[in-house]
Amino acid sequence: MNRKIMTAVGAAAAAALTLTACGSSPDAEAETPEGPVTITMAGWDLAAVPEFQTLADAYTAANPDVTVEIKEYPAGNDYDTALTADLAAGTAPDVFIVKNLKNYITFQEGGTLLDISDVAGELDPATGGLDSMAIDGATYAVPYRQDSWVLYYNKDLFAQAGVAEPDGSWTWEDYDKAAGELSTALKAAGSTATGAYQHGWQSVVQGFALAQSDGASLEGGDFGYLEPFYERAIALQDGGAQPTYATVTTNKLAYQAQFGTQQAAMLPMGSWYIATLVKQQASGEANAFEWGIAPIPQLDASTAGLDNTPVTFGDPTTLGINAGIDEAKVATAKDFLKFAAGPEGAAALAAIGITPALIDDTVTETIFGLDGVPTDDLSKFAYSTHETLPENPVGAKTAAIQTILGEAHTAIMSGSVPVADGIAEAEERVANEVG
Amino acid sequence: MATTVVDHPGGPLGPPGSTPRGVPTGRAPGARLKLRNALIGWTFILPNFLGFAVITLVPVLTLFYISLTNSNIFGTATFIGLENYVKLGSDKSFHTALLNTFYYAGVHIPLTVVVSLSLALLLNRKMRGAAFFRTVAFFPYITSIVAIAVVWNMLFSPEFGPINQFLGLFTDGDLPGWTVDKDWAMPAVIIVGTWRDMGYYMLLFLAGLQTVPAELHEAARVDGASSWQRFLNVTLPCLRPTMFFVTVMITIASFKVFDLILVMTEGGPGQSTLVLSQYIYTKGFVQFQFGYASAVAVVLFFICILVTVVQFLYNKRKEA
Repeated sequence: MNRKIMTAVGAAAAAALTLTACGSSPDAEAETPEGPVTITMAGWDLAAVPEFQTLADAYTAANPDVTVEIKEYPAGNDYDTALTADLAAGTAPDVFIVKNLKNYITFQEGGTLLDISDVAGELDPATGGLDSMAIDGATYAVPYRQDSWVLYYNKDLFAQAGVAEPDGSWTWEDYDKAAGELSTALKAAGSTATGAYQHGWQSVVQGFALAQSDGASLEGGDFGYLEPFYERAIALQDGGAQPTYATVTTNKLAYQAQFGTQQAAMLPMGSWYIATLVKQQASGEANAFEWGIAPIPQLDASTAGLDNTPVTFGDPTTLGINAGIDEAKVATAKDFLKFAAGPEGAAALAAIGITPALIDDTVTETIFGLDGVPTDDLSKFAYSTHETLPENPVGAKTAAIQTILGEAHTAIMSGSVPVADGIAEAEERVANEVG
Repeated sequence: MATTVVDHPGGPLGPPGSTPRGVPTGRAPGARLKLRNALIGWTFILPNFLGFAVITLVPVLTLFYISLTNSNIFGTATFIGLENYVKLGSDKSFHTALLNTFYYAGVHIPLTVVVSLSLALLLNRKMRGAAFFRTVAFFPYITSIVAIAVVWNMLFSPEFGPINQFLGLFTDGDLPGWTVDKDWAMPAVIIVGTWRDMGYYMLLFLAGLQTVPAELHEAARVDGASSWQRFLNVTLPCLRPTMFFVTVMITIASFKVFDLILVMTEGGPGQSTLVLSQYIYTKGFVQFQFGYASAVAVVLFFICILVTVVQFLYNKRKEA
């Protein structure tokens, strides 16, 4: 009896093994499939982040034979951790989002991304961040959304303080001056608001420094370009024109609350905040006030003004195809990426207030046609005209260097080390630890 | 019945009435019974062992291997021998993390032992509301670490925090910057760590105190011993098993500290509160250097083992 059971179990196991082996072997001769196809895509926090489902639905609407199934991952940094585990185990979805640009090269070097240079070649060259995705001439992920940093300002507070609003020609000096004047005037009027609110992230200082400084590079090992930007950030908080770093971090201040409840007249932030602010003003979470967006202040006049293209930063969010995808689905997945990163995907994203990587007139019109979005010309200019450079240029050393620069950021901003010393220490550490 | 079997799985003697000794193994009924009993014994510990093997043993063994490779978790990892360990020797960040870990453990361990033992002694008396205070002291231990971090960060806020406002009543000088000051961040984290852990260890000490015979105290009192002498010569020696257990547990927990620091300071400002566990996390899950991160993990593993073994030996010598 026992022996019979054992034999049966053994046979079943052998059969199962054979079947799984068959199932996992790629179908070498596969062509574009006919009939219904389902591809899977990784996304996070589906309840709060509608973009994945929007792209999936828009694609299915255009291609009724294809279903894009979203597999939910944890939000925040846990997305990368969970996805990494699934990729290593070979259980990741067919298409996934490379959320953090600094991890792109690790995914590529690990052989988890399919070469999709052909898809990239067919996209509009104006697609934001597309150029920065090339690794040795090949592309492994394509940007479908790219937020750029702009300057949000509260028109009511500017009027109350009697300070001239940004006109698109601002350099950082103009910004600092305005922040000081706003703070003084608002304080005199009995308000607790500050002229500016710069969040505690390292990108708020380093992103602009890297994008706007001549010859600045992450891998060069010389971070002297950060110095004037840190001097300014420190001066702003020392002068009371912005909450101190200590207050921002220990009290866990939220930039949405600072700007949304009129505690700051200006806020440098990514364009993703447009949709949030509109939503929060509609729900009452944010106060009702007039606001606008202006181009981010420039290092000097050469890139400032409405006849120039202001330089700012922002990492594209990109889509890649899992190298382990079933051969039969590759063509469909590529077509989906072309759709998501192309004008149709862009239009679908703009309709829900998200900034796509490809900003054309339709997108600008759609975004500025949404209820609650400011409609002045400067806001439209700021939204649609910019040269956006990546905060995390694609490189094997980027992640390690950013960790060191992140530690330098907290040390400098907390006043634990003088600016020059903090930067020198970071340079030394990069030379020693990253090479 | 079952207990006997479990206690001696596959032992030299079968249960009473089994095969006489000296009978060769084979299909003899006694041997079968012995085998059966052994198997039953194994099945009892199997679930536990399987869990241990799959979730702990295999990953730990894999960790040792990965530490000898340049794995980035994807693709193939190349075996590079002891290269990662050699690199640790000149890695200043690793040295900082190592020193910080010893700093944290060196202060946190004695502080927690003293505070939790004091609390236990205080709440071991027959007093009104003892149960209430015990619960209060235990509360931090079951509170979410993120909530603890957020609230304490606010308390520590240099400009608006209640702690500095209170200290400001007594001094006009510079007040500590706490979590945003490179010299004060570690003391701040240790204070919170001790506050969080004291309730749990207090409970263990309270349990230990129940085993101290009242007669010994009475005898000592009759002999004219002061309460301090009674504490030193009666309570402490009787508490030794508990003390040993508590110290080992706090030591291991202190060397492995991670969550509290990650949510309170993220290792900052700069690297002033960077500890080994966080360094492992950063190297692994932020920079994808899993080989190198594993090497650091192996070092942490041996530190924990070494310190625990020393404690065991010390305890054994004391017992002897």
